[in-house]
Amino acid sequence: MAVCVAVIAKENYPLYIRSIPTENELKFHYMVHTSLDVVDEKISAMGKALVDQRELYLGLLYPTEDYKVYGYVTNSKVKFVMVVDSSNTALRDNEIRSMFRKLHNSYTDVMCNPFYNPGDRIQSRAFDGMVTSMMIQVC
Amino acid sequence: MSVPDYMQCAEDHQTLLVVVQPVGIVSEENFFRIYKRISSVSQISVRDSQRALYIRYRHHYPPENSEWGDFQTHRKVVGLITITDCFSAKDWPQIFEKFHVQKEIYGSTLYDSRLFVFGLQGEIAEQPRTDVAFYPSYEDCATVEKRIEDFVESLFIVLESKRLDRATDKSGDKIPLLCVPFEKKDFVGLDTDRRSKWEGSLQWWRGKGAVHWVSDFLKLSGTDFAALEGLCSASVIYHYPGGTGGKAGARRFPGSALPAEAANRHRPGALTTNGINADTSTEIGRAKNCLSPEDIIEKYKEAISYYSKYKNAGVIELEACVKAVRVLAIQKRSMEASEFLQNAVYINLRQLSEEEKIQRYSILSELYELIGFHRKSAFFKRVAAMQCVAPSISEPGWRACYKLLLETLPGYSLSLDPQDFNKGTHRGWAAVQMRLLHELVYASRRMGNPALSVRHLSFLLQTMLDFLSDQEKKDVTQSLENYTSKCPGTMELLTLPDGLTLPPVPFTKLPIVRRVKLLDLPASLRPQKMKSSLGPSVSAKSPFIYSPIIAHSRGEERSKKIDFQWVQGDVCEVQLMVYNPMPFELRVENMGLLTSGVEFESLPAALSLPAESGLYPVTLVGVPQTTGTITVSGYHTTVFGVFSDCLLDSLPGIKTSGSTVEVIPALPRLQISTSLPRSAHSLQPSSGDEISTNVSVQLYNGETQQLVVRLENIGMEPLEKLEVTSKILTTKEKLYGDFLSWKLEDTLAQFPLQPGKVATFTISIKVKLDFSCQENLLQDLSDDGISVSGFPLCSPFRQVVRPRVESKPVNAAEGGRPGEPCHVKTLEAVLNFKYSGGPGHVEGYYRNLALGLHVEVEPSVFFTRVSTLPATSTRQCHLLLDVFNATEHELSVGARSDEELILHAGECQRMAIQVDKFNFESFPESPADKGQFANSKHLEEERQEARGLEINSKLDIHWTIISFSQTRGASVEGLLNQLVLEHLQLAPLLWDVLVDGQPCDCQAAACRVGDPVRLEVRLTNRSPRSVGPFALSVVPFQDHQNGVHSYDLRHAVSFVGSGTFYLDKVQPSGQAACLGALLFLYTGDFFLHIRFHEDGPSKELPPSWFCLPSVHVRALEAQA
Repeated sequence: MAVCVAVIAKENYPLYIRSIPTENELKFHYMVHTSLDVVDEKISAMGKALVDQRELYLGLLYPTEDYKVYGYVTNSKVKFVMVVDSSNTALRDNEIRSMFRKLHNSYTDVMCNPFYNPGDRIQSRAFDGMVTSMMIQVC
Repeated sequence: MSVPDYMQCAEDHQTLLVVVQPVGIVSEENFFRIYKRISSVSQISVRDSQRALYIRYRHHYPPENSEWGDFQTHRKVVGLITITDCFSAKDWPQIFEKFHVQKEIYGSTLYDSRLFVFGLQGEIAEQPRTDVAFYPSYEDCATVEKRIEDFVESLFIVLESKRLDRATDKSGDKIPLLCVPFEKKDFVGLDTDRRSKWEGSLQWWRGKGAVHWVSDFLKLSGTDFAALEGLCSASVIYHYPGGTGGKAGARRFPGSALPAEAANRHRPGALTTNGINADTSTEIGRAKNCLSPEDIIEKYKEAISYYSKYKNAGVIELEACVKAVRVLAIQKRSMEASEFLQNAVYINLRQLSEEEKIQRYSILSELYELIGFHRKSAFFKRVAAMQCVAPSISEPGWRACYKLLLETLPGYSLSLDPQDFNKGTHRGWAAVQMRLLHELVYASRRMGNPALSVRHLSFLLQTMLDFLSDQEKKDVTQSLENYTSKCPGTMELLTLPDGLTLPPVPFTKLPIVRRVKLLDLPASLRPQKMKSSLGPSVSAKSPFIYSPIIAHSRGEERSKKIDFQWVQGDVCEVQLMVYNPMPFELRVENMGLLTSGVEFESLPAALSLPAESGLYPVTLVGVPQTTGTITVSGYHTTVFGVFSDCLLDSLPGIKTSGSTVEVIPALPRLQISTSLPRSAHSLQPSSGDEISTNVSVQLYNGETQQLVVRLENIGMEPLEKLEVTSKILTTKEKLYGDFLSWKLEDTLAQFPLQPGKVATFTISIKVKLDFSCQENLLQDLSDDGISVSGFPLCSPFRQVVRPRVESKPVNAAEGGRPGEPCHVKTLEAVLNFKYSGGPGHVEGYYRNLALGLHVEVEPSVFFTRVSTLPATSTRQCHLLLDVFNATEHELSVGARSDEELILHAGECQRMAIQVDKFNFESFPESPADKGQFANSKHLEEERQEARGLEINSKLDIHWTIISFSQTRGASVEGLLNQLVLEHLQLAPLLWDVLVDGQPCDCQAAACRVGDPVRLEVRLTNRSPRSVGPFALSVVPFQDHQNGVHSYDLRHAVSFVGSGTFYLDKVQPSGQAACLGALLFLYTGDFFLHIRFHEDGPSKELPPSWFCLPSVHVRALEAQA
């Protein structure tokens, strides 16, 4: 259902990005890249208001003609961005939330790997598989 | 109205629109000069009124945009200024006509117009006209500003009068309804009833609007504001004919109320230093009817949502969005602003021209930038750039495209300085950045600036190398090569016309250098400091032998400086470990060193690295031309036609062991060639010295060979000094005699050796190894019955060919048997040539050239066994040597040019040499005196060696391979054991027997029968102790030569006196003698055997000391 999943490091460079229509990967790169503006803005806005509230889900970042871009930020300012097809109306906010939570859990697993260098591109097969499952899963 | 004005902002609502246009042919430069001056008059305080008038000038304005002027008056062109050139009076009517045509275009909305004529003088210019101003030239027009002010004032008067008209005129019904342009067409079906309801308001609007309500709006007093409310409602009703009734009042506010406030903030003059929000809030607080900032946005949203219901109002909607964004940007509400912008993106205007598209994207980008969305801004800028060169455009604007692309760089966090990428791994949006770089490359190429595209492409290759796929790497390098074939990449800073500079991109990753190591000169060329001059320099540094502080600072120094030297004029090497990250063969050309400190002639190298090579050593060379301290700061390469200067300091992850080296003055260079063949055989590594040349020679044991060394000065300096030393490497073999000997004087006579000159030097190699066999062989053979102290042999050259030995020879050459002495032995030596000259010599440096000498010694002859036989004389003895021919040739062996013994290959024969006994005691005993505590064993060895030498020189055994006819020496030194030596030694007790006063040793002494023969036995004691007393008895006997000795000679010989002699104790170096007499009664040959009595101290002494000559007396017939 997700067409593109990206993990962005604290310093705003991609740790992981994968999209399903691989032929137009660059488009999603652009999309995720520009969404960071909104993420930044939301984080800075949240920084003031919601310090205590552990709401990591950023909600819809921006809609485009065909896609919706959702964001999620961990406490360590690692961002998850998910691009979802707009036509998929069945997808509710709650489902997006749970997908992000799954993504976060999987990312935590990656970080637990003692052989993973924080800051490197994620090449974990388990993480990859999880993302794939999220992409394929058709509602 | 179709062309959106993206630059519009909210405060534009309060301005009057004046169009300034040229008429006829006016050069652009002149026009804009005047236009600029006109534009400077943008705010005018009108006389008799506190009101300020704001004027907006446009030099281009589509007349149809005025159509919306009724809706928003600032869209209406109210004034027209035309500028024209006119040089002759006859052109004048024509120009004036044009002016009128121009007026017609904007006619419907125009209140006033002016014509500025430049260049015309004379009659016509004299006429005073209000609408035309004449100036002699573009320079001479000081009153332009004044004229404009007048013009604006006149506009104001028109507006003001209109307002007053409306204010007094009660017949509001006559006033036509205001409507937007598209409404006019379908006016039918409008609810006229509704319309009547808002006529009152309309009337109001009219009254105010005629005076240009927006300008009014600046001073929002309470009363004014009430009036504006009505005004707003009217405008809202206008664009919302469906009717919203009473709610309308507040509704129109976004369009009008806002500008006031926004205007204050946008106008630089209105801004207070306190900041925007505080200012506005207070102002708003004062104007109680004004909307709060939140409300403004609310109203904007509302307004836009209304606009959006009409397709034709797209431009208005878009402009409203833009205005709202600008307001939000100031309020720092980026999120909401982005929503407005997002909306604006989706507003579909009619088919836009390409230029309009570019404009639109650029504006979007600018607005995103304004709200801090740099990435989004960059995205739209890029889209705009792409639009500039869209395929549908006939003349693509590559230059503009390139410029726009450059502006997007910060948005993609990309800088064009490769230095920024040196810190660790690159982290960024590689895919996006690569795309951008590709576009830059393409745009710059199409721009016709190949240098730029090369620079960008090299940058791409250098910084994005890790992210390029193999295919991409190939493609990029391919195109880079294509570009550089036209315009090679340089290390110069590229400066763009707009001032941006592009730093050079050195290819530090093509190839990647992992380690840099300065190499010492080869051992033969390494300069060495003479020790004498080294001493004082070290001690001068510090009075302390050791100080931790100094050691520390020195350690730091050392970390950069390397402790060897390079020599001026000599080729010096630096080794780089490189690897090629590319999936194809990498050709690196012109790779050389970058140095500082010393004039250095770099000799560039070209190399080709295989695909994905591992670490690959590359040696870069150069020649220092002057002396001093040289620092290797980096290297330069040419890869794919791009020149790069890579500095070591800026290379990440490079290992270097220092880069600074001292260059000392030039030294000569010596090249050695020898008469012997070079050998691949290198000396044992333990030798310590590095040997430049190795020569090898094969010699037979005992052979001597001349080694001619050819010394050639191949350097540039004269060779002044030469010293030769040799070092024989530790060998198990015992070597006798001088292995290497030379005379240097002859060679030195040719010095100094000028460059290119040759001198020769001769060394003689003499190999003399042990000629003995293994000891076991000796012992093995010692049992074959030849008694050492046996009877004299009559024939000294009797050959003893024993069956034992006979069995040997066939197999001997094969050497399979243990103890078989056939294996080849090796000797190794190093000859060191220390030389110096030229300025380096003055500085106290020299060079050392080592020549390795490898000698294989083949066995020649062996003495498998040695023994002695006493000779007939006590002063002599026979040395018996079993000689074994270990060569494959027939050879002859001889001693002291006596008889030669022919030996076939593998044959063993005995040879006997008669030798005089040696008096070893005559040798100086100095070593014993010196080293009292010296190892006695060592001492003994030394003594034995000396003896061996003596014996050898006496013996002079030599052998010749007959087919080679060359005489070689042999030596018995090694095989002389204690026993043999003892026999060869002259006994310390010297016995002499004198017959009739004649010493008698080997010859027979003659005597007459009947005459008494005096027999004297004389003892000379040379031993260091006293000997004796001795008792001797003389036993005569006759040898029948058939093995029978008859001792019963009582009838033939009689003693005169006692037959027993008595010798008293003899002191060291003393002499004693005893006399007796014999009487031979018959003729015949008699022998006298002098025997010691068994008793006495003689037993303590070795038997060989008591070797008395046997006396042979021939008794002759008594003379008659």
